Amino acid sequence: MELNDANLQSLTEFLRKTLDPDPTVRRPAEKFLESVEGNLNYPLLLLTMLEKSQDTVIRVCAAVTFKNYIKRNWRIVEDEPNKVSDQDRTAIKANIVNLMLSSPEQIQKQLSDAISIIGREDFPQKWPDLLTEMVTRFRSGDFHIINGVLRTAHSLFKRYRHEFKSNELWSEIKLVLDTFALPLTELFKATIELCQTHAADVNALKVLFSSLTLISKLFYSLNFQDLPEFFEDNMETWMTNFHGLLTLDNKLLQTNDEEEAGLLELLKSQICDNAALYAQKYDEEFQPYLPRFVTAIWNLLVSTGQEVKYDLLVSNAIQFLASVCERPHYKHLFEDQNTLTSICEKVIVPNMEFRSADEEAFEDNSEEYIRRDLEGSDIDTRRRAACDLVRGLCKFFEGPVTAIFSGYVSSMLGEYAKNPGENWKHKDAAIYLVTSLASKAQTQKHGITQANELVNLNEFFVNHILSDLKSPNVNEFPVLKADAIKYVMIFRSQLPKEQLLQAVPLLISHLQAESTVEHTYSAHALERLFTMRGPNNTTLITPAEMAPFTEQLLNNLFKALALPGSAENEYIMKAIMRSFSLLQESIVPYIPTLIGQLTHKLLLVSKNPSKPHFNHYLFESLCLSVRITCKANPTTVSSFEEALFPVITEILQNDVQEFLPYVFQVMSLLLEIHSNSIPSSYMALFPHLLQPVLWERTGNIPPLVRLLQAYLEKGGASIAGSAADKIPGLLGVFQKLIASKANDHQGFYLLNSIIEHMPPESIIQYRKQIFILLFQRLQSSKTTKFIKSFLVFINLYCVKYGAIALQEIFDSIQPKMFGMVLEKIIIPEVQKVSGPVEKKICAVGITKVLTECPSMMDTEYTKLWTPLLQALIGLFELPEDDSIPDDEHFVDIEDAPGYQTAFSQLAFAGKKEHDPIGDSVGNPKILLAQSLYKLSTACPGRVPSMLSTSLNAEALQFLQGYLQAATVQLV
Amino acid sequence: SIITANQRISKFKNKGKDPTKLREKRISVCVELRKAHKNESFLKRRNISLSSLQDEEAHSPSYISNEMVALLSIEDIVRDVNSDSRESQTRGCQAARKLLSQERNLPLKEIIDAGLLSRFVSFLSMDDEATLQFEAAWALTNIASGTSWHTQQVVEHGAVPAFIALLASPMLHISEQAVWALGNIAGDGAAYRDILIECNVVPALLAFLMLSSQVGYLRNLTWTLSNLCRNKNPFPPLSAVQQLLPSLIQLLHLNDKDILSDACWAISYLSEGDNERIDVVVKTGIVPRLVELMSHEELSVMTPALRSIGNIVSGSDLQTQTAIDAGVLKVLPQLMRHPKASTQKEAAWALSNIAAGPSRQIQQLITCGLLPALVEQLRNGDFKTQREAVWAVTNFTSGGAVEQVVNLVQSGALEAIIDLLQVKDAKVILVILEAINNIFLAAEKLGETEKLTLLVEELGGLDRIEMLQNHDNDLVYQAAHALIEKYFGDGEVVGVKVDSTDDSFVFMTSEPQGTFEF
Repeated sequence: MELNDANLQSLTEFLRKTLDPDPTVRRPAEKFLESVEGNLNYPLLLLTMLEKSQDTVIRVCAAVTFKNYIKRNWRIVEDEPNKVSDQDRTAIKANIVNLMLSSPEQIQKQLSDAISIIGREDFPQKWPDLLTEMVTRFRSGDFHIINGVLRTAHSLFKRYRHEFKSNELWSEIKLVLDTFALPLTELFKATIELCQTHAADVNALKVLFSSLTLISKLFYSLNFQDLPEFFEDNMETWMTNFHGLLTLDNKLLQTNDEEEAGLLELLKSQICDNAALYAQKYDEEFQPYLPRFVTAIWNLLVSTGQEVKYDLLVSNAIQFLASVCERPHYKHLFEDQNTLTSICEKVIVPNMEFRSADEEAFEDNSEEYIRRDLEGSDIDTRRRAACDLVRGLCKFFEGPVTAIFSGYVSSMLGEYAKNPGENWKHKDAAIYLVTSLASKAQTQKHGITQANELVNLNEFFVNHILSDLKSPNVNEFPVLKADAIKYVMIFRSQLPKEQLLQAVPLLISHLQAESTVEHTYSAHALERLFTMRGPNNTTLITPAEMAPFTEQLLNNLFKALALPGSAENEYIMKAIMRSFSLLQESIVPYIPTLIGQLTHKLLLVSKNPSKPHFNHYLFESLCLSVRITCKANPTTVSSFEEALFPVITEILQNDVQEFLPYVFQVMSLLLEIHSNSIPSSYMALFPHLLQPVLWERTGNIPPLVRLLQAYLEKGGASIAGSAADKIPGLLGVFQKLIASKANDHQGFYLLNSIIEHMPPESIIQYRKQIFILLFQRLQSSKTTKFIKSFLVFINLYCVKYGAIALQEIFDSIQPKMFGMVLEKIIIPEVQKVSGPVEKKICAVGITKVLTECPSMMDTEYTKLWTPLLQALIGLFELPEDDSIPDDEHFVDIEDAPGYQTAFSQLAFAGKKEHDPIGDSVGNPKILLAQSLYKLSTACPGRVPSMLSTSLNAEALQFLQGYLQAATVQLV
Repeated sequence: SIITANQRISKFKNKGKDPTKLREKRISVCVELRKAHKNESFLKRRNISLSSLQDEEAHSPSYISNEMVALLSIEDIVRDVNSDSRESQTRGCQAARKLLSQERNLPLKEIIDAGLLSRFVSFLSMDDEATLQFEAAWALTNIASGTSWHTQQVVEHGAVPAFIALLASPMLHISEQAVWALGNIAGDGAAYRDILIECNVVPALLAFLMLSSQVGYLRNLTWTLSNLCRNKNPFPPLSAVQQLLPSLIQLLHLNDKDILSDACWAISYLSEGDNERIDVVVKTGIVPRLVELMSHEELSVMTPALRSIGNIVSGSDLQTQTAIDAGVLKVLPQLMRHPKASTQKEAAWALSNIAAGPSRQIQQLITCGLLPALVEQLRNGDFKTQREAVWAVTNFTSGGAVEQVVNLVQSGALEAIIDLLQVKDAKVILVILEAINNIFLAAEKLGETEKLTLLVEELGGLDRIEMLQNHDNDLVYQAAHALIEKYFGDGEVVGVKVDSTDDSFVFMTSEPQGTFEF
C-alpha cells in the first residue's frame, strides 16, 4: 500500500462504513480492513488520517482502529510471522509520541494506550529513546502535553505494582529511575509552585491537580518494588509536599457533585496510598515522617463530609490508620486517652452512621444491600473501614476503646429513646457499633465465633434487640428490625438457647414484613438457627420445640415468596429446605398443599431459570417432601408422580438444560421408592433417556446413569420383554461412557446393573462384544481407575454367571486370555480396589475362580492358583494400595468414582449404597474357607500340598485363622 | 560499589517436596534499587588518610612525622620524583603521599597522568632506601584505593610482583604497607585477585602471619586475606582457598574485633554458593566457633558470623546439621529479636533455610522454641524480615510432618500470614497462598479440612483470599482462585470434557486387531 491520497481516500471510506449501524454495510468494511492490515504502510495511513483528516469522527475512528491494530499485531510471537513490518515499526515509534502529544484529548488517550502496548514489548531495549523523548517534554511548560506524557508513563509503569521481582524488571526500573526520577521530582516541585501562583485560577488548578494526581500515581509505581536510592535521598522533598497537599484545601476545587470524587479527593486518596506503601514496606526510612502523616490523615478524616464522593478517600484514610495502629512501635501515637476518644468520636462513629445512600439501597436495591451487609462484599465501604479500625485499635486498647464506645452507645440509645421516629438512625449506629466492637472472629457457618468479653451481648439483646423484634408492627422502622434480626443471626453461637427459642416465633412473624431486606434476613436467620448443632450432634432446636410454630413457619415462608421482589428469593427457599429437613415427619400433614405450591413455582421458574441457588433449593425441597412423606408411607409416591410428571414432562420437552440433572435425580428418587415393578409412565420415557444429545452434556451423565440403574433394578425384565430393541442403545451408552477416561466408571456402573438385573438370555448375544470393548480400552489406555472398575465388573460377572463362564468367555476371545488377565491384571492390581462392597464382590468372585473353575486345577493356569489365593488374602488383610503411577497424577483426579460434584448433585436425593451380593455372603473369609474345604474334599490332598509348597508363611497363617473360624479342615 | 546483603545467591536447599517450585526461585536479583548501606559490609578498598592515622594509635607509628613533609605542587613533585637525587625523590614521594592522604579531592588522576607510577614502582625495590620505599608504597596504596581504573594503572605499571617482593621487607611497617596495597588490588575484582593468586601472593602473605603478633599488622593482613576470598564469577580457585583457610581459622580464634570481623567476612564469602564450597568451610570444623561468634557483642563480628552460618544452612541437610549441632537454633531466637532490622532479616533468612530441611530438623527447630520468635517476626517485623519469615512458614509447611504443621498453626503462624495477605508484594502473597495450601493438605490428612476452612474464615482469610481473585498478577489470581474453588466453593465445580462421537450410540465392536497384550 502506497502512502498516497488515493489510498487515504479509500481507507477513509471504509472506516466510515465501519461506523454504520447497518451490519450489512459495517461487516464487509470491517472484513476488508482486517484483510489489508498486513500490508506495508497500513498503520502509517491510519496515523496520517488521525492527524490530518478534516473529519473529527474519522480522526477518532482512525485512532481507535490504530490502537486495536497495535493490540492485535505488535507482539512478535515465537514461530509466528512478524505481523508489522520493521519499516512500519520504526516509523511508528519515531512519530507516535509527538503525534500523541499534539492531538486532542480523545485521540491522545488512544495513542497513549497504543504507546503503552508497544512499550510493553519494546521498552526499553528496542525503544531506548522513548523515555528521554518524554522527559524533554516536561520542560515544555504546556500541561496538556505534560499530562499526556504522565498518563503514558503511568500506563507504562503501573505493571511494577504487581509483577514479580526479576533481574529483567529491576533493570528496567533502574533505567527508568535514572532518566525519569529527577525530572519527575523537578516537575512535582514546579507544579506545586504553580498551584500557589494560580491559586485563584480554577481552570489552571484543574489541570495542575490532574498532573499532581498522575505524578503521585507514578510515585507509587516507581516505589513499589523496593525503595529506590533516589527516592530515599529525596524523601524530604516528596513527603513534605505530600503532607502539604494532604492538608491543603481550596474552595475552587470543591465540587458540587455528591457522588463523583473530585480532583482533590483523588489526589489525597493516592497520597494516602503512597503513605501506606511507605509505612508498610519502608518503615525504617519512613519513621520520621509517619507521625505527621497520622495527624494529617486524621485531621482530614475529621473534616471530611458524609457525601459519597469522599468514600474512597475516607476508606483509604481509615485503612491507613488501621494498619498503623496495630504496629507495636506506633502504639504510642494512639494510646493517649484524648486521642483514642477523639478517634472514636470523630472518625469511627460518624463513619458508622446510616447514610441516605444506605437508606436508598435498603429500600430500592435490596439485593445489593444484602450482598454488602450479609455476604461481606463491603470491602471498600466506610463502615467496613471503620470496623477494621475498631478491630485494629482493640489489639492494644480493647479496654479503653470498649469503655469509650459504651458511653457512645448509651448516649445514642438515649437519643433514640427520646424520639424514636426522628432518631432511629442513632440506634442503628449503636447496634452497628456494638456488633463491630464485639465480633472478633466470624464465619458464615457459625456467625460470630469469638466475641469481645467486655461486651455483654445477652444483656444488649434483652434490653435493646428483643423490643424491636417484639414490636407488633413489623413494618415500622424496617432498618432497625433488620438490625435486630441480623443481631440474632450473627451472635447465634453466643446467645443462650432460651433466647434463641424466644426469637424463633418473632423471626417467623417478620417473614411477613414488606421490606425485602427484613423478610430476607428473617428467612436467613431462621435457616442459620436450624443448622445449629446441639449436644450429641443433633440439631440445637428440635422438631418438638418447633411444634407450636410449625404451621405458621411454613405458611409465612411460602407467603414470603409471594411478596414483591421475593418471587425467587434464594434465602427464603433455602429456609424452606432447612425447615423441611429439621421438621421431618411433622411436615407430612402440610405436604399435599405445599407440593402444589412447589410444583407451581417449578413450572414458573422453568420458563426462564435465572437464579441457580433458588432453583437448587427448590429441587432439594421437592426431594425432601418426597423422601419424608414416602418414608412413612411408600404408596404416596404415586401422588407425587401425579403432581410432578406434568412439570417434568414439560421440562424434558422444552429441554430446559439447567434443570435436567435435577429432574433425573428426582425421577430416580421416585422410581427407587417403587417396590419391584416399573410403572408404564416411566417405560414410556425410557427411549428418550438413550438419546445421544442428553449424554453429550457432562452434567447429565451421573444423574442419568443413576436413573438408568433404577430402571434396570426395577424393570430389567420389563425392558427385556417389551423394550428388547432398546438393549443395543443401552449398551451404546455404556460404550460411549467407557471410551472416556473421565466417565468410564459411570459406564461400569451401568454395565454392572445390566449384568445384575437383566435376564441372562436377553444379553447373551452381546456378551462377547462387551468383553472385546473392555479389552480394547484396556489395551489402549490402562488407567488405575479403569482397572479398579474392570476388576469389580469381572468379579461380579463371575459371581453372577460362574467362574467357568468367565474363563470360557475370556479364552473364546483369545487363547490363554484368562491366564493373562489373572497374571497381569487381577493378581497385581486387586489390592487397589477400594470400597467395602467392591472389595466384597472381588473376594467372592476370586473365591469362585479358585474353587469352582476346573481349569485352575488341571491346566497351565494351575501355576496361578497360589498367587491368586495370596492376592485374595492380601485383599483381606493388607491396607489398600492407593498409589497412583507418576504419569497419572493429572488424569481425572476430579473424577474418582464417588466424587460426584461435577453436576448439580442434590443432597436430599441421595442414593443408598447397593450391595449386589447382599446377605448371601456374610463373611467372605468364611466363604473362602468353606469353598476351599469343598474343593479339597473333591480332590483330596491337592489343596494342602499347593498351600504348603508356595503360599507364604504369613498368608498361610491368616488362612489357617479363616479355616478355624469356619471350623473346617482341609483334606 | 559495595556488596550488599541481597547480592548473594540465597538459594534454598534442594530438599523437600517441590524444590523447583519454591526454592530455586529464591535466587535473588542482582540489580539493586536500594541505597547501599555501609554497615552491611565493609570497604573493599581503603586508603590511608592522615586523620585516620591520628585516630588510632596502632596506625600512627612513630616513623611518620607529618610536620616534616612540605606541601608541594604537582609540578614540583614531578620534578623531584624524576630527579636523580635520592633526597629529592624522597621529598617528592612524601609530598605526593601527603596529597594522596587528604580527606577529599585526591589528585589521583593528576599523579597518574604525570607519569609518576613507574617511578614509584621502581622505588619499591630499593631495599636500601627504606623511607623512599615506604613513601612510594604508601602513595601507590592510596592510588590503588581509587576506582577500578586507578587500580588498573597501578597494576599495569608492574606493582604486583614488586609489592609481593616487598612483603619480605625486614621493616614491619614496609611489609604492612605492601599487605595493604595488595589488599586494595585484590579487592578490585575477581580478575586481579586471580592474578595475585597466580603470583603466589598467598604463601607470601601467610609466611609472615605468625611472625608478627602486632595487632595492627594482623588486622591489615586479615583484611587482605578476606579480599582474596571475595568476589565471584569466578570464585577464587579452590587450591588458594585451601591454602589460606587454616590461617583464617587461626585468626578466628583471636580476640580482636576487627580481625574477627574481617575473618568472618572472609568465611562468609567462602561459604557463599554451591554445596561443594560450603563443604570446604564446614570441613575445617569452624562451624561451632562461628555459631559462638553469632552472639558476639560487636555488630561488626556478629553480622558476618550470622551471614556465614546463613550460607552454611543453605547447603545440604548434612551441612545444616553441623550448624544445628553447634547450637545455631539456640542463638537464632535472640537474633530474630535483635533491635536491628537487618539482623532480624538475616536471622529469618537462616531460619527459612533450616525450615526447608527434613522433618527431623524441623522438629529441632520446634524443640528449640523458634516458633514464637518466628510468629513475632511475622507480626511485627519490618517488611524484609516478614518476607523471609513467610518463606520460613512456606518451607516449614511443605516439608514438615502433619503434627509439625499443626504445631505451627497453633503457634499463631496461620493468623499472622493471613494478616500479611494485604502486603504490597505479589511474590510474598503468592508464597503465603502456597503455605495456606500446604496447611490445607495437612488438614486433609487429618480429616480436618472443614475445621481449617472455618478457622481461615474466622481469621479473616476467606475475605482476603476472595479479594485476591481480583489481583492484577495472574499467578496470584490463579492461586487464590484455586484455594477458593477447592476449599471454599459451594460445590459448583466445572464440568469435565467428554469425547464426542456420532450423533447416535450404536453398540458395535470392531473385531480385535492383533492380539491383546496387557
